[in-house]
Amino acid sequence: MKFAVIVFPGSNCDHDAYHAVKHVLGQDAEFVWHKDTSIGGADVVILPGGFAHGDYLRTGAIARFSPVMDAVSAFARSGGPVLGICNGFQVLLEAGLLDGAMLRNSDKYRCEYVNVRVERTDTPFTGLCSAGDRLRIPIAHGEGNYYAPPDVLDRLEHNGQIVFRYVSAEGEVTDAANPNGSLRNIAGVCNATRNVVGLMPHPERACEPALGSADGRVVLESVIAHVKAGAPLAARA
Amino acid sequence: MPTFRARVFVTLKPSVFDPQGRTIVESLHSMGYGRVGDVRQGKYFELDVDADSTESARTTVDEVSHRLLANPVIESYRVEIENRDGDAPRI
Repeated sequence: MKFAVIVFPGSNCDHDAYHAVKHVLGQDAEFVWHKDTSIGGADVVILPGGFAHGDYLRTGAIARFSPVMDAVSAFARSGGPVLGICNGFQVLLEAGLLDGAMLRNSDKYRCEYVNVRVERTDTPFTGLCSAGDRLRIPIAHGEGNYYAPPDVLDRLEHNGQIVFRYVSAEGEVTDAANPNGSLRNIAGVCNATRNVVGLMPHPERACEPALGSADGRVVLESVIAHVKAGAPLAARA
Repeated sequence: MPTFRARVFVTLKPSVFDPQGRTIVESLHSMGYGRVGDVRQGKYFELDVDADSTESARTTVDEVSHRLLANPVIESYRVEIENRDGDAPRI
């Protein structure tokens, strides 16, 4: 199986994602430049963190129109697993592949470890987790304040599309545990068909104990298991 | 084909919290401008558009505003159009 790591001008966590997938987890991976029109037969697409197009206009606003996003959208529509990390999550929101929008942090740029709770294990990226698992992984963002109108938020809650929430070390959803003002402490969501997941924290930067935490490994291990189990909706684009 | 100048004003929807606006207000208050009650920060764009008519120019600018300049989830926009030659009325 193969991962595609999309690279936009200004992406800077593409190498972290590549390293985690290829060197830590031993999977095949390749970089795909944003102007390519194909994702090269990949089984999983990662939109990495960074500052695509300098976050000009709005974060992710320009990247969503990159040529590669047609192929990513087609892959997502056919059920392929897509993970948007940080800036990648922002691109997915702007592209309409996930519901909601990002605002600037209510406070300031946050570069620190947070605790996120896994709310749903029925996505390709959380299948090896247990509901309620607490993952200690780093964030580094200035615009991670997740917003959606009240009716959309209610629909996401009702459909179980909130995948990760910021929690305290004890696993409680509190204001103090919320690093950026996101509504309902939302750290990550999925689409209605559950194959596209976006989250602001960086699981790919928490795959090795030497780097401070290996709690993020399970996110990538989950999708590897998902693809290897011959998930019926995986498609070649 | 005439050229039109469009001005697009993009603002956050009232229901959306504006941390930049809040920061500016607090700064103004500490500068002594206690009478400034609220500030919302938005964006302003100027576009030159070649089109056969004001209506055609407006259609293009509406589309561009909706697709790129504003994020309809959190922002609203307003368009003003004038003929670059200065003849046509503002819309």
